[in-house]
Amino acid sequence: MSKKILICDDDEGILDLLTMLLEDNGFDVIAEQSSLNVYKIIESEHPDLLILDLWMPVLSGDQVLRMLKNNPATQTLPVMIISASMEGKQIAVLAGADDFMAKPFDVNTLVERVKKFLSKEEMEASL
Amino acid sequence: MNKLNNGEFSFSHETINKDFELLTRALDASISGIVITDHNLPDNPIIYCNAAFEQISGYDRKEIIGRNCRFLQQNDRNQPERQIVREAIINGLDCVVEIRNYRKDGTLFWNELYMSAIKDAFGNTTHFIGVQNDISRRKKAELALLQHQELMERRIEERTRIIKESEEYLASIVSTVRESLIVLDKSHSVLSVNDHFLKTFKVSLNETEGKVLYELGNGQWNIERLRQMLENVLPTNNPVEDFEVEHDFPHIGRKLMLVNAHRIELEGDYKDRILIAIEDITDRREIERRKDDFLSIASHELKTPLTTVKGYVQMMNRYMPENASDKFKSIVDKTSIYVERLNNLLSELLDVSRIQTGNIELHKELFDFDRVVKETVEGIQTATKTHQITVIGKATNSYSGDESHIVQVISNLLANAIKYAPDSPEIVVYLSLVSNYLKVSVTDYGMGISQEDQKKIFDRFFRVGEIQQRFPGMGIGLYVCDQIIKNHGGSLWVESEKGKGSTFSFTLPLDETEVPE
Repeated sequence: MSKKILICDDDEGILDLLTMLLEDNGFDVIAEQSSLNVYKIIESEHPDLLILDLWMPVLSGDQVLRMLKNNPATQTLPVMIISASMEGKQIAVLAGADDFMAKPFDVNTLVERVKKFLSKEEMEASL
Repeated sequence: MNKLNNGEFSFSHETINKDFELLTRALDASISGIVITDHNLPDNPIIYCNAAFEQISGYDRKEIIGRNCRFLQQNDRNQPERQIVREAIINGLDCVVEIRNYRKDGTLFWNELYMSAIKDAFGNTTHFIGVQNDISRRKKAELALLQHQELMERRIEERTRIIKESEEYLASIVSTVRESLIVLDKSHSVLSVNDHFLKTFKVSLNETEGKVLYELGNGQWNIERLRQMLENVLPTNNPVEDFEVEHDFPHIGRKLMLVNAHRIELEGDYKDRILIAIEDITDRREIERRKDDFLSIASHELKTPLTTVKGYVQMMNRYMPENASDKFKSIVDKTSIYVERLNNLLSELLDVSRIQTGNIELHKELFDFDRVVKETVEGIQTATKTHQITVIGKATNSYSGDESHIVQVISNLLANAIKYAPDSPEIVVYLSLVSNYLKVSVTDYGMGISQEDQKKIFDRFFRVGEIQQRFPGMGIGLYVCDQIIKNHGGSLWVESEKGKGSTFSFTLPLDETEVPE
């Protein structure tokens, strides 16, 4: 069964690109533009990985991330932050991100990192 | 005739000649000039003069007898003393005057004249006796003293005027300065402040001068940090410069101040006075903050669509049909190159803006330096088919610094090496430990840099003239590298010979204490 990835970014262009890219690499992709819906989707869809933008209206990526990491039900879900913000990496690390990629990213590197992540998950799960 | 009986003189018929001769000799022995005038004769002529008078006046007795005393003043007639003498003669009184007289040869002498009237039994004036002393020397000394005093007074006036002028000049400078200035005495009472202080902090001179600083305006200057600086820092670190104080003032609101303090150490009246200059940087900081905000937003907003474009171009490569024409492939390749260039320019521009604002933040953590260098080289090696990059040596596997910044420097040096050595494929990265520094050198065998240009290549926006035509760029890369290395307490330099290639090297201190705060 293919792995499920939830992507949340307020920029439609990024969502389209990542959806195409990751589906192309055999993943199930749920693309969501509003950060307010992230928790609900995680609860119902149980994704294996969350790719999250930082600068989003109403609820920022690091706020979402903190909520997820503080909640026992979601704290094990790996989260990769993608951001074009200059301080992105620091914010991501402080909020407890599992990985970070600066925009603009190299799509091949991103796919590699996602694959590495999910295979690690699989290994850990099988142990 | 008691006076006469008092002495040896009897003036009897037998002795009178002898007695007179003796008295005349006595008069001649005096060093004071003595004359007797007869008041009953017309114009009060001199009827007797002694030898000293001849001596003082330079006239012979025969030239003196019969003349009025005024002949001694010659043409110097307008002396007020003459009036005193005249009145004494008319009224038959004694008088003492200092009067200018002239010798026979015309030279001046100051004459101190004691004049006494001689009266008969009925009280009528019969004669005058004048006793004269030449006081020219004393007069001269007095005059010299007077002149000296006048000169001194004039000088003092001149000095006072100069001091006043220079005080006014300094005061006008102080009042023009757009910084607040305060002068405190050693017990921290305000001696004076300038206009700018009064304006900025909306206070009057009356409620300021003479008050202890901390009590000013109901204690609004009782700022703990300022107090600490004045009481604890200044006594041992004089002067204190760029000391930042933030305070919320009741009327004017929150102010961010940059304070310089200087305690006067010179011996003298001003010793231990404290000069304080306050620059209000509240607005400047606000502008800097807005600039930073703007940069963050610009960076974010420009990079977001760039991410999409870059991603799609990469995917175009992925989906390239087998039978795609070379022309099409080349178009996609070029698009990819220019998107990357746009990304680099954007990053450089943002870096420079951040460095300009002084806000290039270091996020230091321990990392495996050698591994990071190798990974960076690998990353660039995969992207370049034209050059072969070799890594030689080892530096350290544990360095504390900003990894992303160090990667930026190494990438930049490698990109330059590739760019400026298009026909020499070999590039060497040399890692080593030198004393307590790590050293990285990047060597290419390309076009090299002239001695003259070597001095300028680390300047912002500098481009080597002939290079600009062939290799576009903004002249920012090395400037940023230099700043990053400096921020880590290290140094970056170049050794190069035109036509033979260049070696860019940097060292970084392993000892934390050498890294700037």
